[in-house]
Amino acid sequence: MSKVSFTSKRAPIHHYVLAVILGAILTIAVALLVGASNPGDFWLAAGIGALCAVYPAMSLGIKVFVSRHTVTRDPHGEQSVELQWMRQAGAGAFLDVLVATIVAALVLTIGRLEIDALPVLLGLVGLSAVDAGLRYVAIRHRALK
Amino acid sequence: MKNNLAERRAERRWTQADLAAALGVSRQTVISIEREKFDPSLPLAFLIARTFGCAIEDIFTAE
Repeated sequence: MSKVSFTSKRAPIHHYVLAVILGAILTIAVALLVGASNPGDFWLAAGIGALCAVYPAMSLGIKVFVSRHTVTRDPHGEQSVELQWMRQAGAGAFLDVLVATIVAALVLTIGRLEIDALPVLLGLVGLSAVDAGLRYVAIRHRALK
Repeated sequence: MKNNLAERRAERRWTQADLAAALGVSRQTVISIEREKFDPSLPLAFLIARTFGCAIEDIFTAE
Protein backbone atom coordinates (compact mmCIF):
# COMPACT_ATOMS: atom_id res chain seq x y z
CA MET A 1 0.00 0.00 0.00
CA SER A 2 1.39 3.41 -0.77
CA LYS A 3 0.06 6.91 -0.86
CA VAL A 4 -0.87 8.62 -4.07
CA SER A 5 -0.97 12.26 -5.00
CA PHE A 6 -3.35 13.95 -7.38
CA THR A 7 -2.03 15.93 -10.28
CA SER A 8 -3.56 18.73 -12.30
CA LYS A 9 -3.38 16.53 -15.41
CA ARG A 10 -6.50 15.41 -17.18
CA ALA A 11 -7.13 12.15 -18.96
CA PRO A 12 -8.05 12.12 -22.66
CA ILE A 13 -11.77 12.81 -23.02
CA HIS A 14 -12.56 9.36 -24.42
CA HIS A 15 -11.23 7.81 -21.17
CA TYR A 16 -13.90 9.71 -19.21
CA VAL A 17 -16.48 8.41 -21.70
CA LEU A 18 -15.20 4.83 -21.24
CA ALA A 19 -15.34 5.26 -17.46
CA VAL A 20 -18.98 6.38 -17.63
CA ILE A 21 -19.85 3.53 -20.02
CA LEU A 22 -18.25 0.92 -17.73
CA GLY A 23 -19.98 2.47 -14.71
CA ALA A 24 -23.33 2.47 -16.51
CA ILE A 25 -22.94 -1.16 -17.65
CA LEU A 26 -22.09 -2.32 -14.13
CA THR A 27 -24.91 -0.26 -12.62
CA ILE A 28 -27.46 -1.70 -15.06
CA ALA A 29 -26.15 -5.23 -14.46
CA VAL A 30 -26.53 -4.88 -10.71
CA ALA A 31 -29.96 -3.28 -11.12
CA LEU A 32 -31.13 -6.15 -13.33
CA LEU A 33 -29.80 -8.74 -10.87
CA VAL A 34 -31.52 -7.08 -7.92
CA GLY A 35 -34.71 -6.59 -9.92
CA ALA A 36 -34.71 -10.23 -11.07
CA SER A 37 -34.37 -11.39 -7.47
CA ASN A 38 -37.59 -9.48 -6.62
CA PRO A 39 -39.90 -10.18 -9.55
CA GLY A 40 -42.95 -8.89 -7.64
CA ASP A 41 -41.46 -5.40 -7.43
CA PHE A 42 -38.99 -5.46 -10.30
CA TRP A 43 -38.68 -1.74 -11.01
CA LEU A 44 -38.55 -0.68 -7.36
CA ALA A 45 -35.88 -3.30 -6.57
CA ALA A 46 -33.94 -2.47 -9.72
CA GLY A 47 -34.06 1.23 -8.86
CA ILE A 48 -32.73 0.63 -5.36
CA GLY A 49 -30.05 -1.67 -6.75
CA ALA A 50 -29.06 0.98 -9.27
CA LEU A 51 -28.88 3.67 -6.57
CA CYS A 52 -26.63 1.46 -4.46
CA ALA A 53 -24.41 0.45 -7.37
CA VAL A 54 -23.98 3.69 -9.27
CA TYR A 55 -21.33 5.27 -7.02
CA PRO A 56 -19.00 2.25 -6.70
CA ALA A 57 -19.51 1.38 -10.38
CA MET A 58 -18.61 4.87 -11.57
CA SER A 59 -15.67 4.92 -9.13
CA LEU A 60 -14.42 1.67 -10.62
CA GLY A 61 -14.76 3.12 -14.11
CA ILE A 62 -12.73 6.17 -13.09
CA LYS A 63 -10.14 3.97 -11.38
CA VAL A 64 -9.72 1.80 -14.48
CA PHE A 65 -9.71 4.46 -17.19
CA VAL A 66 -8.94 7.86 -15.62
CA SER A 67 -6.83 7.49 -12.48
CA ARG A 68 -3.63 6.45 -14.21
CA HIS A 69 -3.65 9.82 -16.00
CA THR A 70 -4.60 11.99 -13.03
CA VAL A 71 -3.00 10.26 -10.04
CA THR A 72 0.69 9.54 -9.54
CA ARG A 73 2.20 7.15 -7.03
CA ASP A 74 4.03 8.86 -4.18
CA PRO A 75 7.53 7.32 -4.13
CA HIS A 76 7.89 8.03 -0.40
CA GLY A 77 4.38 7.02 0.59
CA GLU A 78 5.64 3.84 2.27
CA GLN A 79 7.87 5.94 4.53
CA SER A 80 5.11 8.07 6.03
CA VAL A 81 3.82 7.59 9.54
CA GLU A 82 0.23 7.60 8.29
CA LEU A 83 0.80 4.18 6.76
CA GLN A 84 1.82 2.83 10.16
CA TRP A 85 -1.26 4.43 11.75
CA MET A 86 -3.49 2.83 9.11
CA ARG A 87 -1.91 -0.58 9.65
CA GLN A 88 -2.30 -0.30 13.43
CA ALA A 89 -5.91 0.83 13.08
CA GLY A 90 -6.69 -1.95 10.61
CA ALA A 91 -5.08 -4.63 12.78
CA GLY A 92 -6.91 -3.39 15.88
CA ALA A 93 -10.22 -3.23 14.06
CA PHE A 94 -9.73 -6.76 12.74
CA LEU A 95 -9.25 -8.08 16.28
CA ASP A 96 -12.27 -6.12 17.52
CA VAL A 97 -14.48 -7.55 14.77
CA LEU A 98 -13.12 -11.03 15.44
CA VAL A 99 -13.92 -10.77 19.16
CA ALA A 100 -17.35 -9.26 18.46
CA THR A 101 -18.12 -12.06 16.01
CA ILE A 102 -17.05 -14.75 18.47
CA VAL A 103 -19.06 -13.21 21.31
CA ALA A 104 -22.12 -12.79 19.09
CA ALA A 105 -21.83 -16.38 17.87
CA LEU A 106 -21.58 -17.61 21.46
CA VAL A 107 -24.62 -15.60 22.54
CA LEU A 108 -26.65 -16.89 19.59
CA THR A 109 -25.55 -20.47 20.23
CA ILE A 110 -26.14 -20.45 23.97
CA GLY A 111 -29.38 -18.50 23.70
CA ARG A 112 -30.54 -20.62 20.76
CA LEU A 113 -31.49 -17.41 18.97
CA GLU A 114 -32.11 -17.13 15.26
CA ILE A 115 -31.63 -13.86 13.40
CA ASP A 116 -31.33 -12.88 9.74
CA ALA A 117 -27.82 -12.97 8.34
CA LEU A 118 -28.09 -9.77 6.30
CA PRO A 119 -28.39 -7.29 9.21
CA VAL A 120 -25.56 -9.09 10.98
CA LEU A 121 -23.29 -8.88 7.94
CA LEU A 122 -24.15 -5.22 7.41
CA GLY A 123 -23.48 -4.61 11.09
CA LEU A 124 -20.07 -6.22 10.77
CA VAL A 125 -19.24 -4.03 7.79
CA GLY A 126 -20.31 -0.94 9.72
CA LEU A 127 -18.48 -1.99 12.86
CA SER A 128 -15.23 -2.65 11.04
CA ALA A 129 -15.36 0.66 9.15
CA VAL A 130 -16.28 2.77 12.19
CA ASP A 131 -13.82 0.90 14.42
CA ALA A 132 -10.91 1.36 12.00
CA GLY A 133 -11.79 5.05 11.54
CA LEU A 134 -12.04 5.74 15.26
CA ARG A 135 -8.84 3.85 15.96
CA TYR A 136 -7.01 5.84 13.29
CA VAL A 137 -8.20 9.13 14.78
CA ALA A 138 -7.21 7.99 18.29
CA ILE A 139 -3.75 6.78 17.21
CA ARG A 140 -3.15 10.00 15.28
CA HIS A 141 -4.29 12.14 18.22
CA ARG A 142 -2.04 10.22 20.64
CA ALA A 143 0.96 10.53 18.34
CA LEU A 144 0.61 14.25 17.71
CA LYS A 145 -0.50 15.56 21.10
CA MET B 1 15.47 5.26 18.85
CA LYS B 2 16.62 8.61 20.12
CA ASN B 3 17.42 11.32 17.60
CA ASN B 4 18.52 14.92 17.35
CA LEU B 5 16.49 15.69 14.27
CA ALA B 6 14.70 18.67 15.84
CA GLU B 7 18.01 20.31 16.84
CA ARG B 8 19.54 19.74 13.42
CA ARG B 9 16.45 21.12 11.74
CA ALA B 10 16.44 24.15 14.02
CA GLU B 11 20.12 24.82 13.23
CA ARG B 12 19.16 25.17 9.59
CA ARG B 13 16.07 27.21 10.46
CA TRP B 14 13.86 24.79 8.62
CA THR B 15 10.26 24.31 9.56
CA GLN B 16 8.86 20.83 9.92
CA ALA B 17 7.02 21.44 6.67
CA ASP B 18 10.30 22.37 4.93
CA LEU B 19 11.96 19.17 6.09
CA ALA B 20 8.90 17.11 5.18
CA ALA B 21 8.95 18.58 1.69
CA ALA B 22 12.68 17.89 1.36
CA LEU B 23 12.15 14.28 2.41
CA GLY B 24 8.96 13.78 0.42
CA VAL B 25 6.95 12.71 3.46
CA SER B 26 4.10 14.24 5.43
CA ARG B 27 4.67 16.83 8.18
CA GLN B 28 3.11 14.39 10.65
CA THR B 29 5.91 11.96 9.81
CA VAL B 30 8.55 14.56 10.71
CA ILE B 31 6.68 15.46 13.92
CA SER B 32 6.44 11.80 14.92
CA ILE B 33 10.13 11.14 14.26
CA GLU B 34 11.19 14.22 16.23
CA ARG B 35 9.02 13.15 19.17
CA GLU B 36 10.53 9.67 18.90
CA LYS B 37 7.13 8.11 18.41
CA PHE B 38 7.97 6.75 14.97
CA ASP B 39 11.15 5.01 13.87
CA PRO B 40 11.77 5.80 10.22
CA SER B 41 12.44 3.02 7.74
CA LEU B 42 16.06 2.47 6.71
CA PRO B 43 15.61 4.21 3.33
CA LEU B 44 14.07 7.23 5.06
CA ALA B 45 16.84 7.28 7.69
CA PHE B 46 19.42 7.29 4.89
CA LEU B 47 17.52 10.08 3.15
CA ILE B 48 17.44 12.13 6.37
CA ALA B 49 21.17 11.62 6.88
CA ARG B 50 21.89 12.59 3.28
CA THR B 51 19.71 15.69 3.63
CA PHE B 52 21.74 16.84 6.63
CA GLY B 53 25.06 15.74 5.11
CA CYS B 54 25.99 13.34 7.90
CA ALA B 55 25.85 9.68 8.84
CA ILE B 56 22.74 7.97 10.16
CA GLU B 57 24.39 7.37 13.55
CA ASP B 58 25.03 11.11 13.89
CA ILE B 59 21.27 11.63 14.01
CA PHE B 60 19.86 8.37 15.37
CA THR B 61 21.13 6.46 18.38
CA ALA B 62 19.78 3.28 19.91
CA GLU B 63 18.21 3.78 23.33
